[in-house]
Amino acid sequence: MRVSLAIIALALLVAALAAVPWLVSDYGLGFMINLMCYLVLTVAWALFSGTTRYVSLATAAFFGLGAYTVAMLIKEMPIYTTFGVALVLGTLMALLVGLVTLRISGMFFVIFGFGLSELMRELLVWWEINKTHTMGRYVFVPFNTTMIYEHLLGLAVLVFLVGWLLRRSRLGVALLVIGDDETMARQAGINVPVAKLVIFVISSVFMTAVGAVMAPRFGYLTPNFAFNPLISFQVVIMALLGGMQRLWGPVLGVVPLVLLSEFLQVRFPFWFSVFLGLVFMIIVYFLPRGITGLVEDGWRVLRRPISLPRGVTGPLIDVWGSLSRPISLPRGIAGLVEDIWARLVRRQPTGGR
Amino acid sequence: MAALLEVDGLTKAFGGLIAVNDMSLSVSPGEVLGLIGPNGSGKTTLLNLIAGTIRSDAGTIRIGGEDVTRLPNHLRVRKRINRTFQLVRMPPNLPAIVGVMAGVMYGAEPKRYKDAEYEAAGILGELNLLLKAGYRLDQLTYIEQKRVELARALATKPRVLLLDEWLSGLSPGELDGGMSVVWSLAAQGIAVILVEHVMTAVRALCSRVVVMNAGVKIAEGPPGEVLRDAEVIRAYLGDDDAA
Repeated sequence: MRVSLAIIALALLVAALAAVPWLVSDYGLGFMINLMCYLVLTVAWALFSGTTRYVSLATAAFFGLGAYTVAMLIKEMPIYTTFGVALVLGTLMALLVGLVTLRISGMFFVIFGFGLSELMRELLVWWEINKTHTMGRYVFVPFNTTMIYEHLLGLAVLVFLVGWLLRRSRLGVALLVIGDDETMARQAGINVPVAKLVIFVISSVFMTAVGAVMAPRFGYLTPNFAFNPLISFQVVIMALLGGMQRLWGPVLGVVPLVLLSEFLQVRFPFWFSVFLGLVFMIIVYFLPRGITGLVEDGWRVLRRPISLPRGVTGPLIDVWGSLSRPISLPRGIAGLVEDIWARLVRRQPTGGR
Repeated sequence: MAALLEVDGLTKAFGGLIAVNDMSLSVSPGEVLGLIGPNGSGKTTLLNLIAGTIRSDAGTIRIGGEDVTRLPNHLRVRKRINRTFQLVRMPPNLPAIVGVMAGVMYGAEPKRYKDAEYEAAGILGELNLLLKAGYRLDQLTYIEQKRVELARALATKPRVLLLDEWLSGLSPGELDGGMSVVWSLAAQGIAVILVEHVMTAVRALCSRVVVMNAGVKIAEGPPGEVLRDAEVIRAYLGDDDAA
């Protein structure tokens, strides 16, 4: 009964989202496209990185691959064929990259992902200048913003469905265990490299698909634009801000950051990167489990029975007591900072479930 | 009885240090083989080699006559060799049952998610851990952690089980419980190799003991005889006490 209610609620939500193009202005639809684009990218990113704990900066590489494939082929064949080609290329690249890199770990993988998208960008720039003598491609197709939005929504539903099924599958459990203790995963009989490769390919194909669908949105594409490294960084920060222990966690990171980027890029276009950096630092220092963690902690506090053994005055006395204590800094400001830091570090929950 | 696990001439060197040198041993179904020796004598390395945690340089490992020397760790698990670790290895941030489920789903008799959940609960139940199924590793006591790890190993349906100091650090009461668990495993026909420093357990459980020192086998036989052997005493206590 609860499950079917949840399904009805989700179906209504999807239906409402599907109706958005006829309810909002063009500007509103543009914003929703942006939101959906980052939502799919971030959830796809979390599918791979949230479970295996590999930080991937290859998002732009796959997004760009999808977008630029469509841009290069759009004059030769129908749009859905270009999407198909893009997906095949994305799968092949993910297999290749996965086979090569999933044995290296930590920092090296991060750098590799970043390097990959930069390499592809430079290669395409070189190719377009020296071989095809074009710089930039026009994507003019009868594929309007409504179509783009509905396709992205479809991808979003699909990526959530994949994530949901994954949690209840053999592969999902394998990935959870791999993320926590790889040696133990092997000892449970899990083929660790294959499991990582499969989820990397799934995640990358979604990113490629988003890129392909977004290509007509831009109208005019250059390699520098398609393989914009900012996409990779933004996705990482959105996923971390949202938190990755829950499937819906990334939503809580995508919505505020897309809203903010919209606001900042209109008002203070040059401050967006600075702001992104600040958000990143705040997450790393104060929100290791993201907004999802905050929500979960808040929920736990709310559900706890309220106990006030000393009545309402008790907490008030405590607050007053701490406020009226004389300020002393025996170890200077550095000591104060250290104390606050120690308290924050100690208060961090151990994470997980 | 025919040997289930046969290890022949197994060798592993770390740089210039030969940690395991030409080791041979065999275990039959239902037998508990004790593997003892001073610290650093290569017991855990030998276990790592048999389980496939690390690769060997030379020698062969056979289970039921089948050569598994070249198989990676996860495939040896499916050939029904499993182990516990000296320092318990279970996913630290996941409920205990998830690690056990992974074992059920990817072990010698793979199951789907739904069936795996029931079976994992059953295995935890047999080890008196059903109520702890939802606990994380750091919420369990030391003995519970060891039992959860054993549950993960048993979930893969092993025929050969390697226990690395699984009985160490327990109170006398817990030790009795642990020993009866090992007994029941052997009674089910599992071949057990027990790396152990707790000699009461070795004497009580093992019909045969292999003693290692500096990577080589220095003695083999029933525990009573072997522990009186002059070379074994020298290995443990030094030359002065061996006389």
